[in-house]
Formats: sequence, structure tokens, C-alpha cells
Amino acid sequence: MNTLIEQAGHVPDFLIDDIKWQQLIFSNNSQSLNVNVPILTATQCQRLSDHIKLNNTQFLKKQNTTTIIELIDKAIERLLNRSDPFRLKAEKLLPVVTGFDTEMIRLSLTDYLKNFRKPQLLRFIAEDFSNPKILDEFQPIIKGGFAKAFGPDCLLHIWAGNVPGLPLWSLISGLLVKAGNIGKVSSSEPLFASWFVQLLIDIEPRISDCLAIVCWEGGNTEQESVFLNNAEVVVAYGGNTALKEIQHRTPITTRYLPYGHKISFGIVSASVLDSQKSWVVAHKAANDIARYDQHGCYSPHVFFIESGGNISPRTFAHYLAHELSCLQEKFSRRSLNVNESIQLAHWRDDETLKLLSEPGSEVISDKDGLWTVTFTEDEGSFSLSGLNRTIRLVAVNSFEKIIPLITPYKQFLQTVGIAATPTEVFQLSEQLGQHGVTRISGLGSMTAPEAGWHHDGRFNLLDLITLTEIESSAEVSSELYTPYKD
Amino acid sequence: MDFRGKVALITGSSRGIGASIAKAFANEGAAIAINYVKNESAALDTVENCEKVGGIASSFKADVTNPAEAKLLVESVQSEFGKIDILVNNAFRSYDFDPEQRKMFWDLNWDHYQSQLEGSLLSTHTLCKAVLPLMQRRAKGSIINITTDLIAKPSIPYHDYTTAKSALTGFSKNLAVELGPFGIRVNCVAPGLVYPTDASKNTKENVKELIIGQTPLRRIANPKDVAGPVLFLASEWSEFITGQTIYVDGGLVME
Repeated sequence: MNTLIEQAGHVPDFLIDDIKWQQLIFSNNSQSLNVNVPILTATQCQRLSDHIKLNNTQFLKKQNTTTIIELIDKAIERLLNRSDPFRLKAEKLLPVVTGFDTEMIRLSLTDYLKNFRKPQLLRFIAEDFSNPKILDEFQPIIKGGFAKAFGPDCLLHIWAGNVPGLPLWSLISGLLVKAGNIGKVSSSEPLFASWFVQLLIDIEPRISDCLAIVCWEGGNTEQESVFLNNAEVVVAYGGNTALKEIQHRTPITTRYLPYGHKISFGIVSASVLDSQKSWVVAHKAANDIARYDQHGCYSPHVFFIESGGNISPRTFAHYLAHELSCLQEKFSRRSLNVNESIQLAHWRDDETLKLLSEPGSEVISDKDGLWTVTFTEDEGSFSLSGLNRTIRLVAVNSFEKIIPLITPYKQFLQTVGIAATPTEVFQLSEQLGQHGVTRISGLGSMTAPEAGWHHDGRFNLLDLITLTEIESSAEVSSELYTPYKD
Repeated sequence: MDFRGKVALITGSSRGIGASIAKAFANEGAAIAINYVKNESAALDTVENCEKVGGIASSFKADVTNPAEAKLLVESVQSEFGKIDILVNNAFRSYDFDPEQRKMFWDLNWDHYQSQLEGSLLSTHTLCKAVLPLMQRRAKGSIINITTDLIAKPSIPYHDYTTAKSALTGFSKNLAVELGPFGIRVNCVAPGLVYPTDASKNTKENVKELIIGQTPLRRIANPKDVAGPVLFLASEWSEFITGQTIYVDGGLVME
């Protein structure tokens, strides 16, 4: 097995000769890869922060939004081009780094990246700013006076590595508000953000001094503290414990935007469970389960299936099992490490034991445990899946039964994938929204949020900016001092 | 299935479906002749993969659409392995399977058909003639021709390609009648869209989903799926089957 070597990260030229590199070793899908990531001393972290802030004000802040959108669009266009060297590299190396199936990564990348083309970026901005020009110059506002949105000179991103490419959401948001960006990549997926930045620099070399992609060990307070003290806004992804620790170290004057663990699930209405559509719904549900092996915050853990359709929830479970079996042929599940295998075996054992006492329940599984569907008619049941293509199906007589089950998890709920009639979708959404769900998607789209989505119900761009207002009093009184005053 | 002591010649077997068939034979202990035209390194990889799982394998460069090279191929395999028990005609002339940009009937001329007929039928004809004496000598043999389910349901009318494969099916039935009395069986395996292969690597997802939507087993075939029926038709498990076509498309076509 030959070992590939790849350089990750980005630091501006002035610092490049002095920094140390750490090698991260990956081995998956019969291939080895060594990735070098830049590791900075505390002093270098400070110099880097100063440099990014200065250059941000001198270059990126002076660009208009259209120029920035076009720059991002060009970089994304290259990543979508299947013969571009960066795209080829992504298709080749991401399966080695993440262990995810090559074909899954190829298709998911395209699905994901097309969210960041120019029309989608314009929509992204329009979602948060009714007048996008407010990012470029003072604009009249309804209450009177003028306002302009300013992005931070230094925006710190602390990314997780559960799903490849995820850093793009916040990094692109940062660029759209003209922030100087420092990103900390996860040691489990350090590449994608690095390639994206390298592509931007390829297209517009001057942006090199406004961006940095670095790495440090999680919890290394010395380096992290320097960046936290310099950042005006911190966006962090990860587990709630890690996020809480970062919050403790973040100065009170710094805006902190944490994105923690979330729970997502699916709902299938009896009205779609007819003889013709049921397997199509199962096909879509299986895609949501298999995509990134449920490692996304938007991946489903449970499906609630309403009884009363021509196809019973139990038959639907059997359809779903076959669909997962077919998807194993299309996108094989990633190999699990020892810990993951043990956890999965425990989950399956627990579920089997629990369901033994329930008449009518079933555990349907691949012989090698590559996917598992559990089926229960116990309507009081809401617990998490074992991840890695394990799913719980709960038959319910009516959707009313779901709400009490999810109520205790309000703070953790995110996406609900729904297969139902339009009337049902709106009725359910009303209740789900009240109980903390922030995103309702069609089945089959759970893992592909649309351009401009409000991640965890928040505003991607508005959360990053500060608004400077020229109140009407300032405008009116300035008229007193004009040279042309009569 | 035990193929120890059997020799299989598989045309176009450096990659894709052919390589998968070769590996499946190797798994069961056969000696395999890997035929390729251009991609020597892929052929060598397939040889290595076959040997890893316990088969004996050698690669043979030959353009089987050239009758002289096809005859020489059979001679070379005979010379190295001493006999040929199984012939799998898998090679075909490269074809651009693109549902959106395919040539319409009025864009095609006879040369296109001629080219595909040569790729499918001429090569099979030459190889069958060349292996016939070897098989007759042992009063046994199995010839398996790879066609396509498009011959039964041309969902996308790849006129020249499918017409040539239809001709190959007719050819196979006639040959089955002719060679039955010698104990030589001739059958066809007709896959649907097989992914991933070089021919299908650019097939769009919506096309795959469209096919999946009409396929009872709800997925697209992969190269391994084709290998099973080929091995069955090559084995003694199918000793009383000849002149047949097995469709390997998850039930998309039923005849």
C-alpha cells in the first residue's frame, strides 16, 4: 500500500517559513495518506491574528459583495468540474480521510457544492438582508436614517470533521460579510476547507492575507486562547461538552455561536403509504439514512410511521430494510473502528433485548451488521439510533403521539424529514416548530439543506455582522453644517 | 462451484464486468486467460487479483475484432493452458452510452452498425470457430455471450449497439442448435445497466434512478451481479441448458 502525502491548511506568506507542521495519518479504503497541517506557537497565533485583521481592512472590506460572490462562484465552479485537479484530489483523498464510500462522496460533493453557485449565494444573502447593498454601503432604512452591516475583522471558526465539506457553510458566510477568517480544521477532516482556500487564492491571490486555515489539538488552551481573544465572533461546531469549554474561554465581549449535537428524525404519513408510493418513500428514507452513515446533525435516528395506509408500517420496515441492502451495494458503509463496532454491537443487543418483550416488534439486519432496522409498535418509544445505518421505526396510530415523545428534547431537535400531504405538512410543521424543530425537509433531502437554510434556526449572516446606524438626527443635524446652507 | 482444472478464456477482461467474471472464476479455482486490447496494467492487476484468490491467470493482448488476432489468441491460450473449457465473449467495441447526447437514428449510417456488428458478432464468430475443435475434442464446452437487456426492452434506443447484440443473441441460438450434438452449450447473459464500469461511469444519477424505479429488486446491477449467472452457465449445474438468455437486471425485463 503506497502512502500519499497532502499539505493542508493555509498561513499567509510572511509566516510560512517559521511554522511547524504536524503529520496526521489516515488509512482507509486500502489507501494510506499523510496530511501535514500547520501548528503555530502562541506568538505566531498573535502575529497571524494581527495580520489577518490588518489585511482584512485593507483588502476584503474594500471589495463589493458581487466581487466576493463571483470569486466564491469561480472556486465552486472548479470544485464542481470533475476534471479539475482539486476536484480529482477531493474525490481521491476524501474517502481515505473519512472512510466514506468513494461514490457517496462524489455524489454528495456535487449535491452540496451546487448550493454555493452565484444564484444560490445571492439567495443566501437575500435570506438575511432585504437590501443586500447594506453590506457595501450605508443604505436608507425604514425607521429613518441609514445603516451599514460590518463583518468582523477576525472571525474564528472551530470546525468538526463529521461530514466532509461542512466548513464551507461558515467560511463562505464569513467571506460574504467580508470578515477576516481564521479556521481551525478538525484533525479528522483537515482537507476540504484547505483546498477551498487554496482555490480562492489561485483565483484572487490578494485574499491570501485575509484567510488562515490552521490546526491545534482540541483543548490546547494556549493557542486557542490567543485566537479566542482576538476574534470578534467565534463559530464553533462539536459536542456540547467541548462547546461549553470553548465558551468558558471566550471573552464576554466576543460573540459566540455554538453549533452542538442535534437530533433529527422522519415522519411518514399513512396517506403516502399506498401500494405504489410506499417503496419510493422507503427509497428516499434509506438515502437519508445511508448518506454519510448518519454522521450529520440532519441525519435521521427514528422514523415514525403512521398506521392506516394500504401498506402497513411493518411492511414499510421491510421495504426500508431492502432499500438499505441495495444502498450497501451502491455506497458501502465505511469500516468502523473497534470502538464504533463495540458501540454498534451494544446498541443492537440492547434493542434486541428490549424488543424481545414486545410482541410484534422486529429487528431486521444484514448478516454482517452493515445495516439494521428495528420495528416497534410501542408508541412511547423515542430513543436514538446506533448510527452507521441503524434506524428505529416506530408505528404510530396518529401523529399526535409524536409530540409528547419529542418534548423533552426540544433543545436538541433540528431536522424532520416528512412524507405527507401538503395539509399534513403544514399542520405538523406548526406543532414541530413549537417543539423546537428548525428544519422540515422532504424525505430524501434531509442531508442536503437548501441554499440559504437557517442552520439550527439561526441567521447565517446576520449573526455574524454588526449594524452601524446613522440615525436620522445625525443626518438632519449635519445639514446645519453644509457649506451650501442659505 | 468447483472450477479446478477448468480453463476459461474471457475476452475484454482487464476491467469492469470482464474482470469481475475473471475474479469469480478464480475464486472457484479456475485457470483464466485474461484478454485485453490496450490497458496492460489493468490486465496485470486483474491477473494479480485472480491469483490472490487462488486462481491461475495469464494476460493475453489481442484485438478480438481482428480475426487473425482472435485466432492467435485461442492458439496462445491453448498453448499455455492446454485446453479451453469455457469461452466468455464479453468484449465489445467501445461505445458512448449517453442517453442525452446519443446519436439519433437519422444521425447513424451503416458504418456505425457495421462497427458494432464487428465488435459483438465478428469477434464472437471468430472465437467460437477457433475454440470449436478444442471443445469438440473433449465433447464438452460452454460458450457464454454477454449481450444486454436492451435487446428485450430498448428503453434507450442505442440502435447500432443493441442491433448488434440482438444479432449476437440470434447467432447464439443457432449455434446452440448446431453445437448441442457435440455437448457444447451456448447461452447468453444479458445485463441491464451495470455500474460502475468504464462504459457507465458518466451515466447520470437521474437515469439510474429512473431505471431503479422500474426494477423490482430496486437497484442497478454491479459487475459482481453479472459474474454469478456466467459461472452458473459455465458450470455443471446448468448442464441441460442451452440457447437461453439470462437477464441480469433485477427483473426490469421479464420474458
